Amino acid sequence: MHSPDPTVADSFKPRPEQTFFEDPAIDRAMGVIMALATEVYVMRDRQFALERLLATRGLLDAAELDAEPAAADAAAAAADREAFVTHLMSSVLGVQASKGMTA
Amino acid sequence: MNATAPNLQTPATALSSRSFAAGQSFITAVKVFWHAELFPALRAEYEQRAATAQHRPETVDDVGSLLRDSTLYQYFGWFERHMQRFKYAGRYGLIAWHRQQRGELLGRLDEASNVELDPQLEMPRYYVSCDIHQHPGGVWSDDVAGFVYERAASTTTPLAGTKHADLHDRFTDVIGRESSSPQRVLDMGCGFGKSTRPIAERFPEAKIDAVDLSAPCLRVAALEPHDVRYRQMDAAATDYPDAHFDLVTSTMLLHEMPPPAVERTLAEAARVLKPGGKMIHLDFYHLADPFTRFIHYTHGRRNNEPFMEPLAEMDLEGTLERLGFTNVRIEPFEEAEGALSPGFRPWRFPWTVISAERA
Repeated sequence: MHSPDPTVADSFKPRPEQTFFEDPAIDRAMGVIMALATEVYVMRDRQFALERLLATRGLLDAAELDAEPAAADAAAAAADREAFVTHLMSSVLGVQASKGMTA
Repeated sequence: MNATAPNLQTPATALSSRSFAAGQSFITAVKVFWHAELFPALRAEYEQRAATAQHRPETVDDVGSLLRDSTLYQYFGWFERHMQRFKYAGRYGLIAWHRQQRGELLGRLDEASNVELDPQLEMPRYYVSCDIHQHPGGVWSDDVAGFVYERAASTTTPLAGTKHADLHDRFTDVIGRESSSPQRVLDMGCGFGKSTRPIAERFPEAKIDAVDLSAPCLRVAALEPHDVRYRQMDAAATDYPDAHFDLVTSTMLLHEMPPPAVERTLAEAARVLKPGGKMIHLDFYHLADPFTRFIHYTHGRRNNEPFMEPLAEMDLEGTLERLGFTNVRIEPFEEAEGALSPGFRPWRFPWTVISAERA
């Protein structure tokens, strides 16, 4: 992908990306969101494939996996879910986690 | 600017075939939504705005003014630009995948026969100054670029199926009506051979030559068993004798070059055609209304197609007559059943057949 032609070399210098929204921060955030969305889909695809493979080999009971969790299982998941949500949402509060400079 | 270009050279981990296929299928599904849902919604919003505007929009700028502050239009533009970027340059992009398969792909290219390359050929400046389709490095600079382009083209118009078969077959029908039994055919800008193969099948008795600037594309084209002579050459300056061909064609070539190069290419077609010979191009030209024109011009900007707008602004009919053509016909082309009917709502290219006869 390299050429001695200066026109070609120039074409590989980074050029500023186009913007579409009034605030270019949205343009860039959309890129992050869609990159994550792609990852989510790739993981879903892989998970479904894995489940199919395991079920085919008799290592997974698909009906059990799909059923609503029993109360004991739900309780076991609750603490982890709460920790996840607390971490996810704490940024919204806008409070320093360590004692640092004033804002 | 302090930003550096993203490093596409060194993927951190191997990309599995499943993950690549899943990532690409996701990107295509988003593009399908864009074609089939976002675009009709944008058109509806535009029509509503136009109906209540002080002046009826007549120009591309009028349409732009009406849509500039539309949230829907902003998302429409973003998705058009960036899902194409993801398709090529993303983590599950065509570049990452083909780089990983490089060894095997280069091995396959060695099987290509019937291809005549010209390592001394100087690439035109316009051709190397912009990576068309947002294909990093363009369709010509990397040895595996032909495979990248071939894979990319299979989802360029996701509503039309994976192989464009309908479109190319329909164009070949048009060619067959204009030129029923040509003996010598030249396909200009043949790329990886997608346009040439249906022509070769339609005219099994004809001697078919196909030229393109891109060696990597020609080598992919020549992997197919059809009896076509693929040659690396600028369509605007071939080495064929005068009055040599009965038929000259191109598919999606003219919009990839600036107007002076379009003129040189058409003049070259006139030179190599026999008197009475037919020239038939499939490209993007007929724009029925200001909204369609605006969408086409801004597509050109978003998809790195700098010469779509200049081609659409050319006086092709006048140019062809000046170059010695007669029976000039410029007509909308229906690339799929119903695509030209008023009720057809999804986004589509402004397909146009441009045909003429060498006087």
